[in-house]
Formats: sequence, structure tokens, C-alpha cells
Amino acid sequence: MPRLLIALLGSLAVFGQERVVSFVHDVKPLLENRCLKCHGPAMQLGKLDLRDRAAAMKGAGKGAALVPGDPEKSPLYRHVAGLDKPQMPMDGKLKAEEVAVLRDWISQGAKWEGVLGASAAGARDLKKMETWMVPAGAKEQWAFKRPERPAVPANGSAHPVDAFLRAALAGRGLTQAPKADKPTLARRAYLDLLGLPPTPAEVREFVEDSSPNAWAKLIDRLLASPHYGERWGRHWMDVARYADSNGYEHDFDRPNAWRYRDYVIQSFNKDTPFDVFLTEQLAGDEMGERSYDRLIATAFLRNYAKVGFREKDNPQFRYEYLDDMIATLGRGVMGVTVQCARCHNHKFDPIGQADYYRLQASLWGYVEVDHPLTPEAEAKAYAAKMAFIAEQTKPLRDEIKLLEQPYRDVLLTAKYKKWPEHIQKAVFTPEKDRTPGQVLLANQIIRTTAVSPVEIDRAMAAADLAKKRTLEARIREIEKTRPKAIPVAMGVTDGDYRLTPDGAGDEPAPGKGITREKIEGSFLADGTKPYVAPPSHFLHGGDQGSKGSETAPGFVAVLDDGTTPPALPPADGRTSGRRLALAKWLTSGRHPTTARVMANRIWHHHFGRGIVTTLDNFGKTGEAPTHPELLDWLAVEFVEKGWSMKQMHRLLMSSEAYQMSSQWATEKHLLTDADNLLWWRYRPQRLEAEIVRDNILAVSGGLNKQMGGVAVFPELSQEILASMDKGVWRNTKDGPEVWRRSVYVYRKRGLPLPFFEVFDLPDQNLTCGRRNVSTVPTQALTLMNNEWVLKQAARFADRVATEAGPDAAAQVTRAYELAVGRKPTAEELRVGETFLRTRTMGDFAHVVLNLNEFIYLR
Amino acid sequence: MDTNKLPKGFASRRNFLFEAGQGLSGVALAWMLGQDGALGATACGGTEMVTSPFLPKKPHFAPRAKRVISLFMSGGVSQMDTFDPKPALTKYAGQPLPGKGDVVVRQGHPGPLMPSPFQFQKYGQGGLEISELFPHVAKHADSLAVIRSLKGRSNDHVMAHYELSSGTIRMGWPSVGSWVTYGLGSENQNLPGFVVIYDARGGPFGGPSNWSAGYMPAAYQGTIFRSAGDPIFDLKPPQGVAEEQMKGRLALLEQLNKMDLEKNPGNSELAARISAYELAFRMQGCAPEAVNVESESDATKKLYGIGDPITGPFGRQCLIARRLAERGVRFIQLYHGGLGNQNTDTWDAHGNVKENHTQHAAETDLPIAGLLTDLKARGLLEDTLVIWQSEFGRMPISQRGLGRDHNPGTQSLWMAGAGIRGGQAVGASDEFGYLAEQQVMTVHDLHATMLHLLGMDHTKLTFSYQGRQMRLTDVYGDPVKQLIS
Repeated sequence: MPRLLIALLGSLAVFGQERVVSFVHDVKPLLENRCLKCHGPAMQLGKLDLRDRAAAMKGAGKGAALVPGDPEKSPLYRHVAGLDKPQMPMDGKLKAEEVAVLRDWISQGAKWEGVLGASAAGARDLKKMETWMVPAGAKEQWAFKRPERPAVPANGSAHPVDAFLRAALAGRGLTQAPKADKPTLARRAYLDLLGLPPTPAEVREFVEDSSPNAWAKLIDRLLASPHYGERWGRHWMDVARYADSNGYEHDFDRPNAWRYRDYVIQSFNKDTPFDVFLTEQLAGDEMGERSYDRLIATAFLRNYAKVGFREKDNPQFRYEYLDDMIATLGRGVMGVTVQCARCHNHKFDPIGQADYYRLQASLWGYVEVDHPLTPEAEAKAYAAKMAFIAEQTKPLRDEIKLLEQPYRDVLLTAKYKKWPEHIQKAVFTPEKDRTPGQVLLANQIIRTTAVSPVEIDRAMAAADLAKKRTLEARIREIEKTRPKAIPVAMGVTDGDYRLTPDGAGDEPAPGKGITREKIEGSFLADGTKPYVAPPSHFLHGGDQGSKGSETAPGFVAVLDDGTTPPALPPADGRTSGRRLALAKWLTSGRHPTTARVMANRIWHHHFGRGIVTTLDNFGKTGEAPTHPELLDWLAVEFVEKGWSMKQMHRLLMSSEAYQMSSQWATEKHLLTDADNLLWWRYRPQRLEAEIVRDNILAVSGGLNKQMGGVAVFPELSQEILASMDKGVWRNTKDGPEVWRRSVYVYRKRGLPLPFFEVFDLPDQNLTCGRRNVSTVPTQALTLMNNEWVLKQAARFADRVATEAGPDAAAQVTRAYELAVGRKPTAEELRVGETFLRTRTMGDFAHVVLNLNEFIYLR
Repeated sequence: MDTNKLPKGFASRRNFLFEAGQGLSGVALAWMLGQDGALGATACGGTEMVTSPFLPKKPHFAPRAKRVISLFMSGGVSQMDTFDPKPALTKYAGQPLPGKGDVVVRQGHPGPLMPSPFQFQKYGQGGLEISELFPHVAKHADSLAVIRSLKGRSNDHVMAHYELSSGTIRMGWPSVGSWVTYGLGSENQNLPGFVVIYDARGGPFGGPSNWSAGYMPAAYQGTIFRSAGDPIFDLKPPQGVAEEQMKGRLALLEQLNKMDLEKNPGNSELAARISAYELAFRMQGCAPEAVNVESESDATKKLYGIGDPITGPFGRQCLIARRLAERGVRFIQLYHGGLGNQNTDTWDAHGNVKENHTQHAAETDLPIAGLLTDLKARGLLEDTLVIWQSEFGRMPISQRGLGRDHNPGTQSLWMAGAGIRGGQAVGASDEFGYLAEQQVMTVHDLHATMLHLLGMDHTKLTFSYQGRQMRLTDVYGDPVKQLIS
């Protein structure tokens, strides 16, 4: 039966029951009450918006929701009628008569009047979310108030830190432990500031220095060492979730990531004030005077784990990267869990979704860019030359293609003929005669069948091949003029992510592509007009399909005193100045948490435990400070002394508290404060994974102290490499080349170095302030049996024998001095000597590397 | 603190340890008990009250499952060709998929509908329909509860792997094995509580992040066991170091560390480290014993297909899984399909679903059936949850006429053992097998069900991280009661 006739009969069949439907009286209430909750102002689930006719006709990306006159072809009707799944509405089917209303309305042309849901309660709720204000009194939470310098308790202490600590101890009737002996102090200072053990000569120098400022001199000497930056820079890299690869499936290499690592190390060594350090990392490209270091620093924002898809076609990933930046800034810098407010207002802290989307807007303009590390003119000349080469070679390449075409056609046909019959049929049927299924099949085959240049060469007639070779030679000649690649830094700047060029590893999502016509401008701002950031939106429920109003940039309101503008556009107009404003806000000295969080971090690393133990969470769900006044005093001091980290080290380490013994205790102390929360003695710390490795190398004498540059790849077994074969691992034979400090070991997100993992390397994808410390048998297995450890132990034994000579007592003594910075006790010496009567120094040296004392800072 | 419970003074080592922590740390207890001979000689099986992060913990309620064996088929198993028959594909073969809007495929462009090249048949009293790919597993049909409507969130191998292993498609979150060992500890302190054995051809998509402990302590991450040689990396010293020599070193180490302990009153971490060396030492004996499939009878080896080059490799993995289950390991994660050539070494049947799935089913069918038979015979299936899964399903439409592309819209998987009501199929996909349609399940539901069977309420199993009580199931998920008998 002809189609037309069926359609006619169909509509006749229902015509009898049809009545004239009123949009306002029948349809509007139905849509508003049953559909708009999910497809209206609050959200547009499945990207379907039914607020007005235009939106309904746009549909949910699969064509119009309504086909006026044809209910059977209208998805809206099909879903409510149960003809398509899922049946709508989700919260319960419509009644049969309601379905009939919609059917009749559509078949009568789906007339529409006005906008729906404008006065719906949902819209009001949404507006409320967007205009959320900090509740009254919320700023009273200790961390949200600006720290003020408290008075130092007057208890006769010479040092403010001791004055605060002793005041708390006195309240419990406790005293501080006595001072540790000098060798212990020397090792403590070396491990803490450099992450390397002192040599016996260095210990002796300190022990024999009886001048009153011997300790201060030691600290100054260590702070001047370039290895200080390697140690303290690594702490910051935990916060910055630094890695050398992308992560996820392909785990692509980031060939320039190391420049950021070196920048961090150098910044610590130079004692770059923390406010500057932070500003460079957030907005190095916006600081007016650009320097290579500042451009490199912007990698901080780009250190997120990345899927190998381009953001312009997959904005869902871009939102994830932004979320990661906000989590890092929130926890790592501000000590608040802003990222909790992505989908709803924070459950515990006075942080709204509005705060989250203000911050998102502040970062929104960012684009990934490889900053050239050359003078601008040079970079431009390089780009021009590259374009010139491409332009010159294009006609030659086109000519080759033309020459190859007849051969390609023949070869392709032959390839098609290898497929099963039904596929051949689809391919060889003329395009216009293919069934819809054959269209799809032929399209797949034709698009994915290629002929390689080698195959073509083999098929080519000699004359044509000769012509091709001539053309290729000409291309090669031109290619020879290709300039050497200029060095670049991975970083960010402002731009329009929708126009970013494809980079290595970019892969468009299927069915997606660039929609240029909708966007004006270019990827990076150039020309005379100042840069304008692309619009960003409030997302209700965190759902990208539920866009709310466009959001303006800004800060976390509860921490904001309103004195910093949300954007500080630079004079050159190339960026929005939003990130710069964010940095200025954080480092103004008036921000309630920035200085506290950093002062607490520095304290944590020196004293083994933060004054606030949840380093990254100063909110209600974090731990309260054990010494709130001390923390505030330190935060104010930090800012007033110019945000100098080295000054903080000097300050904290010069306290008597830092110099206490860790091994002293009385019954009273143990009974009153077993966990040493009040710091009545020094708190020992298990060395971090990297420092365990560095210490083994330093003690064995194998450590290669070369600083900086591209990462090294310690040798891994084929078996371990097989567990993750994507990305790069330039396996390097074990030897001095890879015996560099651990901070220079390649950080592959998909394959952390097993040695590090065993010793609690934090996950490299999330910002981390405080590392876990666990004690598990695999650590014992590694230190006892790992081939690399055994090799270093053997080197250590040789070193001891060389340096101490054949005498057993001298050897035991030397081993202790090298590994733990002290002489053995009489009992240890006796045990060691006895052992060496039947065993070798190789055995003994290996045992020393396994001593508890060896992997603890105490 | 109740000071009455504390002994006075701390002249002896024993007393230090009592004072070590708020209450007695388990670590110290273990070490002490070991010292005082309160425990007998150590064997490799059974529960011991030594300490470790894996000390057995009480579930929230009576569990049906005490342990999990997870069989992960990496690459993406096609539902239409295994456990979800779709006659409509034959009827509409060669036509475009109707009524579903734009089909988002992973590679290139969509093709027409493609019928399964495999025949289905009903098995068992429940009449469960299973394709000819799994003749051996099919004999256990009445033990299998097939889920036909698991909907995933990503068509990317790695993200989909992460979703199945951790509930999120992002990198860096604790895996389900970590959660289970965190929640329940392990029944055997001489072996790791969470063991991973991957395909000899290489690790699964996404690599070690699949068994990462994320923000939890490293102790809860999966430990890789090799299916041949020493099971654990660095379990034994390399060639050339005599065992006697090592014993001498360990004895000296213990002596020196204990002397050091005396100098450090109230420091329980040091005692823990001493204890860790003791555990490591015991592990050296117990781990090789646990993977020693050679000690099994020929009949057992044959049951798992060991000896046959096709079934042998996965057979070994399955047999080791049973041995670990017997020894009280809490979570045993096997992977079939590993990095290498994606088309031939994993289930990723882009090129030719018939060839690919025939090969991989042949490699796994007999071993998995053997595992189920063996667990049943030993009474272990009653409290062992076996789960067979993949990262996503595949498309009902063809890729270049013979293959199938990724499809997170629905996948089929099955569970068996502990408390699972077998012989049923739960949920349904649409008539083509494109999208989950009835009783749509998310990975959160799946995880909630697994935890439920293990006696844990998924809303109560939390880990405090950055101010939030984190859950495996985020804020979602419901146990699927229909799966449970």
C-alpha cells in the first residue's frame, strides 16, 4: 500500500476522537507541572529545554522534540506515550487522557504561546542558588577570620614558639624534653632541610663548633645549599600534583613538564617570597613583566591528569580540569574544600555553589599553551618559517598525490574485494542505489581503507615512480631549511578554548567537530582589541546540561573582604587579568587562610604534624588547631617578614622545641599526652619514599648530585613495564646516570615507581598535603630483597671497608656514622663486632640500611 | 584515658608497648605476643591475631560472602554474543539502528545492525540463555545470576575500567578491592588481603591505577601476584644471595632494632616495623606455597585446563585464585586480556567479533567453569562471591561489517556463589541490545550489591578524606536484592 494512503488512513482513524486543544488551558499546565521540572529553568536534562517553542523545536540534539502535525514522529509524544524508552515523565506516566491531549495538540500544529515556567517555583529556587549569600555569622569560624597577631605568652621563654608551646604544656603540668645531642641535631637538620644525611665530617664540624651560634650557622649553611630546593620543592610538588605524563589511556609524555619542576626547586633556593611564587604560578603570564620563569610557572594550573581528547569538542573534560584546579587551589592554597560546592552548596562550610562558579569563571579563559622560551621576535620568525615551509611543499605534495591516484584506485579496489560478500556489495553498489544500511557500511569501509606509500611505490610504473622521487627530493631540500625547534614551556594563558588548534594526541569525539561559524576571534588574543574571556555559566546540580546564568569572576565570599577587584586586566590587553586578581586576592595579606595554610604546612614538615593536622582542610570538618594562637602568630609573622620561607625555617628551627630529644619520656608525659599533641618532645618522622631512596644512594656513595634537566628513568623489569605499556619509559640501565635524586625521577601517572609506591607515594593525580605513612611487609621485602637495594648495600660495604680499613670496630663505627650520623653505642659495637666474626661487611651494611633508625628522622 | 588499665612504670619493653598508644596498639600486641610465645608456630593458613592493616574487622551485618573472586574480561565483552540474545538483530540485519537518534561510536562512524554469529541455547532449570561461546560455564547456568542492564558512563577503555574498579571514571580513587580490605581486613595475615593477577600478555587498560588505594593508605592497594615464579616482586632475594645469609641478616636486624626500641619509649611505629619484617619473613614461605599449583592433583589441573596451551594461562590464574580463596585472601582480582595487540590480546573486538570472542572465550570458558566446579566441590562457593565482568558492552551495529565498537549503554555480566540466586537474568536491554532499558543498574548499584553480600552497608563504609566521609558508591547506589537468594 502506498505510504501516503497509510498516513491518510491513520490520521482519519484518530480524527474521530480528536478535539480542539487549547495550549493555555490544556497543554501549558501539563508541560509546566509534569515536564518542566527536568526540562525547564532548573535543568535541561538530556539537553532538552521545553520553556519555549524555539527550544522545543531545537530538541535534545536528535532533532526537534515536536513535529507539528505528526505526533508519531514527535519524540515528546513518543516518550510520553511509551513508544520510545525511557517512558516520560520519569516520576510516573501521564494519564491516558493527558497523553491524548498532547497527541491532539501536536497533530493540530503544536501551537505555542509565550514562555513557560517563568513564574515556577523551581526558577526561584535556582535564582536563590545563583545569588546565594554567606549566612550571617559564618565568618566567625576561626579560620575565616583574618589572623591577628596574638600576644606572646610571658613565661620567660626566649623564643615565641616555645612561649606558646610551654603555655599549653604548663596547663597540663608538663615540661619540654631536654635538648637532643648534637649528632642527632645535625642529622635532623640535614634530613629536614636537604633530605640527605650529613657526612661524618659534617657532623664532626658541627659537634666541634662550640660557638653559641653553631646551630644558626648550620641552618644558614643548609639553607644556602642547592639541595634545599630539591627537598622543599618536592613538598610543594605534592600540592601541585606534579607529574611528567598525562595519565589515562595513552598517558602521553609531557616533554617539558620538568621545567616546572626545576622552576619550583629554584624558587625555593632563591627564597622567592611565597606571595610572588603563588602569583607566578596562577598568573605568571599576566604579571606585566614576562619572564621565562613566570611563563614556566603557569604549568601549576596545567598539572591535571588529562584525557587525550581536545577540550573544544569535549567540554565535559574541560570542566573536570577546572574542577581539579579549583580543588587544588581550594585545598592546597586556601585550606578549604571549595570543590565540594560543585553540585550543591557546601554541606558543612559556608561555601556556596556561587563561590565555586565564581572561581570557575576566574579560571575559565585559560587555554593550554606552549610558551616559547625565546625572545618574541624569534618565536614569531620561527612560526613564520614553519608556515613558509608548509606553503612551499604543499603543491609538491599535491602533485605526488595526483601521480599516485590511479594506482591508489586500483589498489583500493583490490582491498575491497578481500571483504566478505555483503560488505563488497555495499561498497560496489553505486552510492545512490545503496540501502540505508549499505550507506553506513560502505562509509565505514571506504573511510578506513587506506593504501600505504610503500604499496603504491611497489605498484607504480618506473617513470611515475621516478617523477615521484624527484618531487620527494625537492620536498626534502625545502625541509632542510626547517629551523631547529625552539624550547617551549607547558603552561597556560588566556584565550578561547573553542578555537585551540589540534595538538599531539588530540582526538575529536566521534560526530563532533569545530563549529567555527559561531565563534568570532582567535585562539589567542592578538590585534588591537582587548581580550574577552568566553562566557562561563552557573551549572545547576553541576550538570553541564543545566546551564544557569552567565557567571562573573570572583572569589570565595566567606574569605573575601571585598577589597580586591575580580579582574586586573594587564595593559597589553592580552589576558583578562582574572587569574592575576585571584592571585592578588590570595596574597594580599588580608586573606584569612593563605598564610595560615602555608605556615601550617611548613610547621608540619618541620615538626611531623600540623598545628592543624588536616593540612588541606581548615573548615568545619577539618581538625581544630591544637595551638590556634601560635598558628595565627606564625601566619602574621610569615606575611610581615615578606613571605620568606627561609625566614620561617630559621624561626622554627631556632626554637628549643625543634631541638628537643625525640627519645625522652616520663611516665607522666606518656600518661597525659601519649600522642605528643602538645609537643613535649620531638616527633620522629618516617622518611618519605623519595628520601629513603636518596639516603640509600647518599650512604652508598652512589648519589649523582647533578641538578635539573630532563627526568631520569630508573631501570624497571620488563614485567613491571608490561603492566602499563602506554606513554614513555626510557628504561635506563642501572648506574650513576639514574642515581640522581628522586625528585628527578620521571613521574608517570600510569606507572609510579614501585619503590616509591611501597613507601606511600601519594596518588599523583590529586593534590596532597599530608602523605599517608603506613608500615607494611612489602616495605620490608623491598629493603631486604630488592636487587637495587642489595647493589647499593654492597657499594656501601665497599665504601666502609675503604674508609675504615680492615678493623671490625672501625668498620662498624664508620657504617653507623655514614648511615645514621652517630657513633654506635658500646652495645651496638659489641654486637656488630661479634657479627663480623662470622659474617661479612656486606651482610652488616645491608642490615644497617634496614635499621629503623635509618628510615626515620628523629 | 583510664589510667588504671595502664601498668605502672615502663622499665620493661612490654610496658613501653602498653603505653605506646591510646590503648594498646595491635602492632605492639602482636610483637609482644610473638615474643612471649603466646602464639604457636605460624602456619600459612588460618587467622592469626597478629597485627597489620588487614586485621579482620567485623562486617556491619551477617555476610553471605567472605571473599570475592573478580574475573575481569578486559577490552569489552559483547553482550549480544554472550549472555543477551537479540533475535531482532537477525530480523533487521543490515539496516540502520532505528529510533535511537545519533549513535555515538568510539571509532569512526556507525554501521548497520549485525546479528550475532553465535547460536544461543537455554541451560539449566532456569532456562538461562547463553551463547555457544561458553559451553562449560553454561553447565553452571543455575548458579549464575546474569545482569543484562549495567549502564556505564564512558566508552573509553581506561575510564570505563576505572569506573568498574572504583566507581568513578577519574584516575586516583580507591578501588573496590581496597574498600573491601579496608572494611573487612583479611583472614590471613601471611598473605596480602587484596591480590591482583593479570594476564601474562600484560596489564589491563589503565594499568596499576585499577588496583590503587587512591587516597587511602598504600597498605590497601592490590598486590600483584605473578602466576609463575615468585608471586610477589622482591619476595625473595635475587640469585646469588643464600637463604642462610639472609637469615643471619634478619637476626642481626631484629637484635639491633629491638635495642633501638628500648631507647624510644612510647613509639609504636618502631614496633610495627619490627612486626612488618616478621610478616614479610612469613610471607616468603606462604606466598610461594599459595601459588604452587604444581602441588595440585592432575585431575584438578585438568579441570582448569592447565596443560593445554589455550586454556593453560588463565587456568593457572583461576587455580591460584581458588588457592588464595582457600587461604583467606579477601579480594582476588583476575584480569583476562592485557595490553599488547588490542585486537588479539583483549576482548576489544573492533575488527572481527567472531574471531576475537571465539579466541578469548576458548581461553577462559573451561578455566572459569573449572573454578566454579572446584569451589563448589570444596564448599567454598557458598561464601565466595564470583563476579564476571568487563568494562563495557559492545554495539549491536557492526564496525566495518564484522566487528563491534564500544558501547557503555549496556553490558551483561554475571555473579555466582555466596548468596546469589542463580539461574536468572536480571534487567533487560532494548530489543537490539543497545541500551539498558529495564531495571537499569549503575556501577554504584553493583558495588553496593557486592558490599551488601560481604555484610557491609555501602552507605556506612566510609573513609574520611579532606573533610568528607567518602564512599565507594559516592552518594548513589542500591543493592539489587533480586540478585540475592
